Amino acid sequence: MAKVYGFCNLHDAPSLGKLTEKRPIGTVSFLGRYGLMDFTLSNFSNSGIDNVGILVDKHLHSVVSHVRDGSIWVNNTKLGNQRIFYNENVPSRKFNTDVNNLLSNRLHFEDIDADYVVVAPAFFLMSIDFRDYIEKHIESGREISLIYKRVKNAKEEFLNCDVIKTENKLVKNFSINMGTAKDAMISLEIFIFNYKTFCQLVNKTREISTLFNIRDLVNYCATNGLYEVNAFSFDGYVAPILDFDCFVKYSMELLSYEIRKQLFKEDWPIYTTTHNTPPALYGSNAEVKNSFISNGSTIKGTVINSILSRDVVVEEGAVVKDCILFSGTKVGKGSHLQYVVADKKVQIKEIRDVAGEEDHYMYISFGANI
Amino acid sequence: MSHNVVAMILAGGKGTRLGLLTKKMAKPAVSFAAKYRIIDFPLSNCANSGINTIGVLTQYEPTLLDSYIGNGEKWGFNGVHALLTSIAPRQTDEGANWYKGTADAITQNIEFLDDLSPDYVLILSGDHIYKTTYNEMIDLHVDSGADATISVIEVDPKEASRFGIMAVDKTDRITEFQEKPKKPKSNLASMGVYVFTWKVLRKYLIADRDLDTNHDFGGDIIPAMLNDGLKLQAYRFKGYWRDVGTLDSLHEANMDVALDRSDLHFHGDRSTRIYTEDTYSLPHYLGREASIKSSICNQGAIVLGNVNSSVISNEVLIEEDAVVDRCVVMEGSVIKRGAKVYNAIVAPNTTIESGVVVNANSKEIALVGGKVTH
Repeated sequence: MAKVYGFCNLHDAPSLGKLTEKRPIGTVSFLGRYGLMDFTLSNFSNSGIDNVGILVDKHLHSVVSHVRDGSIWVNNTKLGNQRIFYNENVPSRKFNTDVNNLLSNRLHFEDIDADYVVVAPAFFLMSIDFRDYIEKHIESGREISLIYKRVKNAKEEFLNCDVIKTENKLVKNFSINMGTAKDAMISLEIFIFNYKTFCQLVNKTREISTLFNIRDLVNYCATNGLYEVNAFSFDGYVAPILDFDCFVKYSMELLSYEIRKQLFKEDWPIYTTTHNTPPALYGSNAEVKNSFISNGSTIKGTVINSILSRDVVVEEGAVVKDCILFSGTKVGKGSHLQYVVADKKVQIKEIRDVAGEEDHYMYISFGANI
Repeated sequence: MSHNVVAMILAGGKGTRLGLLTKKMAKPAVSFAAKYRIIDFPLSNCANSGINTIGVLTQYEPTLLDSYIGNGEKWGFNGVHALLTSIAPRQTDEGANWYKGTADAITQNIEFLDDLSPDYVLILSGDHIYKTTYNEMIDLHVDSGADATISVIEVDPKEASRFGIMAVDKTDRITEFQEKPKKPKSNLASMGVYVFTWKVLRKYLIADRDLDTNHDFGGDIIPAMLNDGLKLQAYRFKGYWRDVGTLDSLHEANMDVALDRSDLHFHGDRSTRIYTEDTYSLPHYLGREASIKSSICNQGAIVLGNVNSSVISNEVLIEEDAVVDRCVVMEGSVIKRGAKVYNAIVAPNTTIESGVVVNANSKEIALVGGKVTH
C-alpha cells in the first residue's frame, strides 16, 4: 500500500461568529460530544492513514487540549503519529496561510515519509473513505486531484464555496458559489497530491503569491495549466458548516435518524476525546423529546428538539426547546429557553426567559451568567 | 500516597448466582449502571487513592477481563510508575495449580509481591460497588500499629448472620471473628477489604500453604492471626457499599443509581470519578414520542418508547410503544415495538421481540437473554 500522509487543515476556514472567536473551527462542539475536526481525523484513521499533521491557524491551546497526544485517532501508536503544525512567527494574520505554516515547519514537512498527501478541511462534515480516491488518483497518473460534491441546492446551500467546472473529469475552472444556480459541483477542498509535487509547489508558492493557501494553489495550477487536476465526485452526505446559521441548521437536521445514518455509519466510527462522565440522569418529572442528551447531564425538567452536551443540568420546571447547549450549562428552575446556542458553562438562573428566533438563534457566550 | 502499598484484587469468582450474566465472563466484568463494569469500582478507588501498583487475580473466564484491563489506561494506570496486571493461575516449575482460595491466590503470587517489596498489601474484592479512597484506612492501619486492618460496615442486626462478623473492643480492636454466626456478637460485617503488613501476611500465607484449610482470608488467615494474639484493627466504613453477588442485589444496586438514592455521587462530587471504557457512540437520542423518567441512560442508546425507573446501557434500542419499567437493560439489547418488560435484568445483546410481555405480574427479578419471543 502507498504511504499516505494526511493534513487536517484548520487554516482558510469560515468564521462561525462568536463560536470561533476563541477557538478554531475544528474544536467547535458538535452534536453534544464531538469537535468538528473529529470527522476529518476519524476519516483519516478509518482510511488507514495513521500519520497526520494538523495545520493550526490560531487558538493552538484549544486544539492541543482537544486532540491531546493524538493517540485516539491512531491505530498503532509506534508507527502512527499526529503532529501539530503551527506558525510561531506570523508578521500579520493575512500572511498566516497554510502554505506559510508548512514553510515555517519546513524541516518536519520535508521529512515526511510519504508517497501521497491528502489535505482535508474540518468544516465539511462527512464520512469518506480516502482509500478509494487515492487509488483513483494513482491510477490516473496525475499529480493533483480534487474531491467535489454535485449538489442540487446551491442557491441556498454551500454559499461562497468554490464551484468547479470540469471537462473530461478534469478541473477546468473555479468560481465562487453566489447562489446563482441550483446545480453546482462544489469543491469539498479535499486535495490529493503526489508528495514530491506537493513539496515543490509549496516551496514555489511565494513566488506566485504570498497570500495563497493550498486551495488557491490548486486553483492556480488547474486554471493556468500547470498541472491537470482530477475531479473526483463524492456522493455521500455532507454537512457544510460555513457560518453560525449552518452550524445550527445542520446540528438540528441530524436529530433526524434518516439523515443521521448517512453521516454516522456502523463501520465508520467517529472518534473523540473521553471525559469520564457518568450516564445521564433523569428525574421523576423529566420530559424529553427528539433530543440528543450527553453523558454527565442531569435532566429534571423538559427538553424538546435540543442537543445537550455533557454535564448540562436542566432543573425542575425548566423548559429547553430548540436549543444547543454546550457542556456545563445549567438551566435553573422554571427558566425557559428557546432558539438559544449556549456556549460552555453558561448559567441561567431561576425563572429566566431567554429566547432567540427560529431563523436567528441567540448566542450566549462562554461562562455567561444570566 | 506516602505509604508503599500494593493492591491485589480478587477477581476469580464465577458468580454462579448471576446465571447467564456470568456464563461467558467473570463476575467483576458484569456491567453496572449503564456504563461501567463492576471491577471499575475497586480499580477507580485505587486510582483515586494514589495506589498505582495493582495485581488483578483472575481465574474463571479471564479472557474478557484480561483484555478489558489491558494496559490499565482506562483508569490511568499507564503512567510512569504504575503497574496494573492481571494474574491467572498458571503452570510453574512446581506444577499446575488453580487458586484454591482467596488466600491461596496471594500465596501463589508471593514472588510477584516480593519483587515489588511493598510495606502494606491492600486486598480488595472485584465484585463490590462502592466509591471511596483507601488512604484513611491505610493511615489507621499504620498509626495503630496493627498487623491487619479490616474494613467493616454496620449492618442490620437481623441480617448480621449472613455476614462475617467482627466483635471489637472499645478501641475497635478486633477480638473475635465469626463467619455467618447464628448469634452474632456485633453488627460489624467484614467488607472483604483488608490492609495487611506484608511481612506479617507473608509469614501466615506460607504457614497456611501446607495446611488442610480452605486457604481463605476470612475463614483461615484472619482466625489464625487472632489466635496468635496479633493486632487486628477494624476500620469503620461509612457510605454506600453493596455486594452485588445475586440478581436481586445487582438489580437493587442499579436501581439505587437510577433513582439517585445511592451516595455514589456520580452527578455530584466529580473529584473522585469512576473510570471506565468509553464507547465511540453518539450521545443517546430520545425520540419524538419517547418518555424517560427516574432513570439513567448511557451514550449510544436510542429510546423511542417508554422508560421508567430503569438503567439503559450503551447501544440499547427501545422501539416505539415499548415499555421498560424497573429494568436493567445491558449493552446492545433491543426491546422491539410494543414489547413490555418489568422488573428485569436484560443481559447484553438480548432481543425482546415485538409485543412480548416479560415478567408483568411477578415481584421477582427476571433475568432474560438471547432472543425472547414469548
